[in-house]
Amino acid sequence: MNRGALAQTWVLTCDLIRFRILASRRDWTSRTLYVVATVASTALVLMIFGGTYLGVRALVAAHATGLLVSIAAWAFLVYLFTDLFIAFGQALNDMYLSSDMPILLVMPLRASSLIVAKFILGVAQNEVYVAVFLLPFVLGYLLGMAAPLWAYAAAIAGLAFFPAILYAGLATITIVALRVIPPRVAKEMLWVIGAAVPTGFWLLNFARFAHMDGDINSLHLPSAPSWLPSTWMGQLLAYSGAGDAGHAMAWLGLIAMVTFVACPIGLAVVSAGFVEGWSRAAAGKRVTAMKSGVPPTLSPIAAIVWKDISIVLRSPQLWFNHIASLGFIGYLLVGHQVQSPILPLTIQLAMLQIGFVAVLDSLNPGMTALSLEHKSIWLLLSSPLTPRQLFTAKIISAYAQTGLITTIAAILLGAGYQLGVLQTGALVIFALLMSAAAICYGVEFDTRYPSFDWENPNAINRGVRMILPFLNGLLVLALCGSFLAATRVGLHGAWNGMAAVLLGLVWCGLVVGWIAVRTSHEAVRNIAGLEI
Amino acid sequence: MLPPLVVVDRLTKRFGEATAVDGISFAVAPGEIFGFLGPNGAGKTTTIKILTGLLRPTSGRATVGGFDITTHPVEAKRLFGYVPDEPALYPKLTAVEFLNFIGDIYEMKTAHKQARIRELLALFELDADAGGLLESFSHGMRQKVALCAALLHEPKIYFLDEPTVGLDPKSARLLKDIVRALTRAGGAVMMSTHIMEIAESLCDRVAIIDHGRIAALGTVAQLRELRGRDTLEEVFLHLTGGFEDRRIADIFREPARA
Repeated sequence: MNRGALAQTWVLTCDLIRFRILASRRDWTSRTLYVVATVASTALVLMIFGGTYLGVRALVAAHATGLLVSIAAWAFLVYLFTDLFIAFGQALNDMYLSSDMPILLVMPLRASSLIVAKFILGVAQNEVYVAVFLLPFVLGYLLGMAAPLWAYAAAIAGLAFFPAILYAGLATITIVALRVIPPRVAKEMLWVIGAAVPTGFWLLNFARFAHMDGDINSLHLPSAPSWLPSTWMGQLLAYSGAGDAGHAMAWLGLIAMVTFVACPIGLAVVSAGFVEGWSRAAAGKRVTAMKSGVPPTLSPIAAIVWKDISIVLRSPQLWFNHIASLGFIGYLLVGHQVQSPILPLTIQLAMLQIGFVAVLDSLNPGMTALSLEHKSIWLLLSSPLTPRQLFTAKIISAYAQTGLITTIAAILLGAGYQLGVLQTGALVIFALLMSAAAICYGVEFDTRYPSFDWENPNAINRGVRMILPFLNGLLVLALCGSFLAATRVGLHGAWNGMAAVLLGLVWCGLVVGWIAVRTSHEAVRNIAGLEI
Repeated sequence: MLPPLVVVDRLTKRFGEATAVDGISFAVAPGEIFGFLGPNGAGKTTTIKILTGLLRPTSGRATVGGFDITTHPVEAKRLFGYVPDEPALYPKLTAVEFLNFIGDIYEMKTAHKQARIRELLALFELDADAGGLLESFSHGMRQKVALCAALLHEPKIYFLDEPTVGLDPKSARLLKDIVRALTRAGGAVMMSTHIMEIAESLCDRVAIIDHGRIAALGTVAQLRELRGRDTLEEVFLHLTGGFEDRRIADIFREPARA
């Protein structure tokens, strides 16, 4: 029976969403993990909601009208920056790297139905992030502003449209890029571009904060770029919060119009060029002639490390994390010019900042250390390697990457803050310690819940998987931060402040050492019990 | 008489409620090619995965070269080469880099490793493509690389799970010759296959496994004689249940005319 285009799209969309839900549920059979992740997510939502509400109430009490009006657009821009990373990868995954595409393309389906179904699937997944990160912010803002009821409906409607605009734009860019850039390099290079462009864009815009000055009553953030959907959302929220229905509805109208006009146009472009672009990208890969000499023999651990590093160097999509981490240093340096009048820069604050970058950078290499073996895991598990050897190799592989990146990041931050050699050295040591802790937790988690069945390496860490080790890393950072604060209070001024730093580092070193010992035992046991 | 190189004793593997391997026992002697036949899902790959340390048995015991694979996995793993049914390799390594990596894992001496890699690449006619990334290789080429990897450290025991899948006739013939040569030198080969002609012409003994249990075990001639059938294929279908002609005809009957 031949279905009409709409019916076909509807059936396909429902099926794809159902399969994705089933796949997520089947990926995670551990009830404990779900409970912990649900509690963590709820805590995150409540934290965003509560923090926004309290902040808005404080600004209302201080009559900071200028800030209240301008802050929303920047909040959405922060989200846009984060979501660009996710949505760009998602567009590439869903359209080109998805393993179901070869099956779907040989079925009697219209290309337009296929693209629309994949698009709706992508938007639906993006709505989850919106619900976790943006909805509590919007509700907290409106409640803090004592907004009328219609304002909630208007802002939530705008919020629902927001990811569709973003995703339509990125999907269109992805498809067009894959028809222009040579297919062999396009898929991998798009990951790098996807990380570099939003980072650069964000830094250029955030730099404008540096010129902020004045009393809180008259303070007003610089205007966010007016062409960005995040700014439109900010305006909708600000006017809704202020109870200005006319302006709020105008912005909502604009968002709705772009959603229902720009998205179909974007999809039309994608649909028309997709099949040709896909077949070009999927065409046989060129045999790359590389050095074919046999290098000298390495020990098994060194061989695994060499193999892992070679793979990372040849897989640009694995650089994504590191580019974002180094970009974060730029964000901190620009932010420093704003933060310094409110929160004076101390070495301890700089250490916490670089610690956060280290945790962020170590998340992916640690949590995918074993899973990156993909379906080739049979090789290592059937080889004469002890679980300890495999664990050690994986720790070294992950740490070699993040150790290098966090060291560079710490030196850049020290230079940017014009710190001395000793203080920069402290930043480097602290970054390496936090990176080590995050790597240990990540590898331990990955050995406990490995995922060898993935379509591309950036899709390994999704959903629940990402939350727990990240929270562990943040808890360690918070604990070490409290040591740094305590020693600063206790030994303030001694040795020009370095005594406090040194003692704090010793405490942090002990904590990280304990984490390394504990997680290594667990990870080795997990590897020994691994079955594929 | 030399002791067997592979011993499987009342081996059982359960996945939750399902029993994949149900108390099977057999042994593979030095110089023997042991064929492991069975329909899809019969338990062949599960058994080989237990023998190679990728799965742990629920009960029973498996030894490789005298070492229990569960209690002495590293010692046992040094002694065998393995080609899985889907030999996924590292796509971002070249063939030479991959084989070099395998040589390092098995702690081969540099000169020996280099000579052996060159020898095997030439044997499988991969030397011209050796500098290419494995992601650019066809399925058959990757299968050949996986065979090179299994042969590289010159083990005494080989576990080959559907080793001829994806190979062209010339390479399949080469593989058969290699397997014969390995057993002539005292090695033991355990291979699963769906191709009866290979089992019939190559294997010294054959086990037919169905629903996790060994339905028949012996030389091809013994099985034919015991079951009163002319070919191994008929023995196989008799033991594992072939489709009746009528059912096949029912499924593929002509569509009714409107």
